[in-house]
Amino acid sequence: MSRFSFLSSDRAVGLIFIAPFVVMALVFMVYPIAEAVRMAFFSYNPLRPDLITYVGLANFEFIFSDPLFWSSFTQGTIWTLLSILFQTVFGVGIALLLHRKLFGMAIFRGMLLFPYIVPTVVIALIWRWIFNPEIGVVNYGLLSIGLINEPIYWLSTPTMAMASTIMLNVWKYTPFVVICVLARLQAVPLELYDAAKVDGAGAFRRFIDVTLPQLREVLIVVIVFRTIWTFNKFEEIYLLTKGGPGTSTFNLAVYSFEQSMASLRLGVGAATGVVMMIMLMIGSIVYLRVAGFGTEEKST
Amino acid sequence: MTRYTLWSATKKAALYLLLCTVTVAVCFPLIWALSTSLKPKSEIFATPPTLIPHSTTFENYEALLSGRQQYYQTGEKSQAAGPTPAQFFTRWFVNSVIVTSGSTLISIVVSTLAAYSLTRFRYWGRNMIPYFSLLGYMVPSIIFVFPLFLMMVRLELTDNLLSLVFGYVCITLPFCMWLMWAFMRSIPIEIEEAALIDGASRYQVFANVVLPTAMPGIIAASIFSMIVSWNDYLFGRVFINSLDNLTLTVGVMLFFEGTHVDWGLLMAASVLMTVPMAVLFMALQRHLVAGFGAGAVKG
Repeated sequence: MSRFSFLSSDRAVGLIFIAPFVVMALVFMVYPIAEAVRMAFFSYNPLRPDLITYVGLANFEFIFSDPLFWSSFTQGTIWTLLSILFQTVFGVGIALLLHRKLFGMAIFRGMLLFPYIVPTVVIALIWRWIFNPEIGVVNYGLLSIGLINEPIYWLSTPTMAMASTIMLNVWKYTPFVVICVLARLQAVPLELYDAAKVDGAGAFRRFIDVTLPQLREVLIVVIVFRTIWTFNKFEEIYLLTKGGPGTSTFNLAVYSFEQSMASLRLGVGAATGVVMMIMLMIGSIVYLRVAGFGTEEKST
Repeated sequence: MTRYTLWSATKKAALYLLLCTVTVAVCFPLIWALSTSLKPKSEIFATPPTLIPHSTTFENYEALLSGRQQYYQTGEKSQAAGPTPAQFFTRWFVNSVIVTSGSTLISIVVSTLAAYSLTRFRYWGRNMIPYFSLLGYMVPSIIFVFPLFLMMVRLELTDNLLSLVFGYVCITLPFCMWLMWAFMRSIPIEIEEAALIDGASRYQVFANVVLPTAMPGIIAASIFSMIVSWNDYLFGRVFINSLDNLTLTVGVMLFFEGTHVDWGLLMAASVLMTVPMAVLFMALQRHLVAGFGAGAVKG
């Protein structure tokens, strides 16, 4: 009886319900991240578990003196900035288009948001097929309308490989921007547009003076989030180019993966991960500063 | 007045034209993949390429679904070449379904219970846990995939689908938690209180009052979790090393190994891999958008 009353007492119910989450979070989130930080200070070869030794900051010294780390950092930054730029521009454009009450809009919206759920593996495969230099349909199209005179080697020259991965990333994640902007657009008070119309503002001026200031907040949030995630992306690059040709499309995630998986330097891979986490924290702090930590509490 | 309607009709037509152009441009890669998958081998490399196949064939799909061996090679050598990816396709598909449903089930059950507890009971840390969870969700998978792998080695779970279920729980649980918390917070407590006063137990209230109300949140979190697990490549690549236990994403990338790439077969595999997510997306699109509204979604 006393056991039963414990189980049904309110306090106990609360603890029983949260317990699975706490256990799982400790085992599957806190532990792996702590372990990743610890590994960064060890020399760690999975094939020789007997040789695991504490090396202090040697892994960090290794990556900071590795030219490939720095070029991965630069390439990853370029990749991120260009991806975010195009995602934002296309995202806002498409959201403005979809924010109209027209017949059949639901179908257009569905089709334009669809890329977001396509598996990255599938996109990478399709990209390799349509951007194939000899038999791909993109080169065929460009050649036949005379835009180019010889086939473009989309995936085998450094610049074009970078451009292809950016295109893949923009294609897949623009819907994310569209959804966020669209949700915000629906909350813009219509009176603002009416007022602007009365004042004689044209469509373009209304966009600059009314829509854009209203979108400012959501765009900041979206840009910060997307920047953080894009910077840390692995599959979007690895599946399309494996970081190549050579190492020309490496970013830090691919660098970390290659150090761990191909060179079996798990410590170096983990140290790269720690550097990525530190940058992530800086990014998050920027986000919290900009967005204001407590604003959400107030609004609900 | 007529000039005005003419003008607005022109504007509308221009808008539709723009919308159609954008939609076709965005969907072109998918349309082209579908078209390629339905073409016979001879037509795939035809110049000029055809968008609508002259002769439609389902041989690529048949080859994948029946696991036909060495579909694309003929002659003596084909027997010696060993197993082909096409043979494993259905097996990989089933594996993907298993790990996706397993991890989604765990994430949803655990996060729903936790979210209810966090929003209905008072104890230390109840306001901090969701934010830590969100922070954990921002950490890129590349950081914890290897520590988790070493953990799976110690638990002797490598090359086991269970390791993937746990791996995907790591990625999906933090976000499901955040989403369910945001959702539960918005459900008014009054109805529950009334039921409690009427003598219902906490468990009864949870099952009969809270769960039905929380369904939209649960659906949004499930879709998110399923998409993430179904689309993952990294965990499958690191955790699994036998052909039998691969998931679709890792398995299909193996089609590239060897000298000959069968594009028709690959595109058919791509289409089949996308279909479950597409069906899910179409059926639950409005819930997805509602879920997006409740919090930011990982990309």
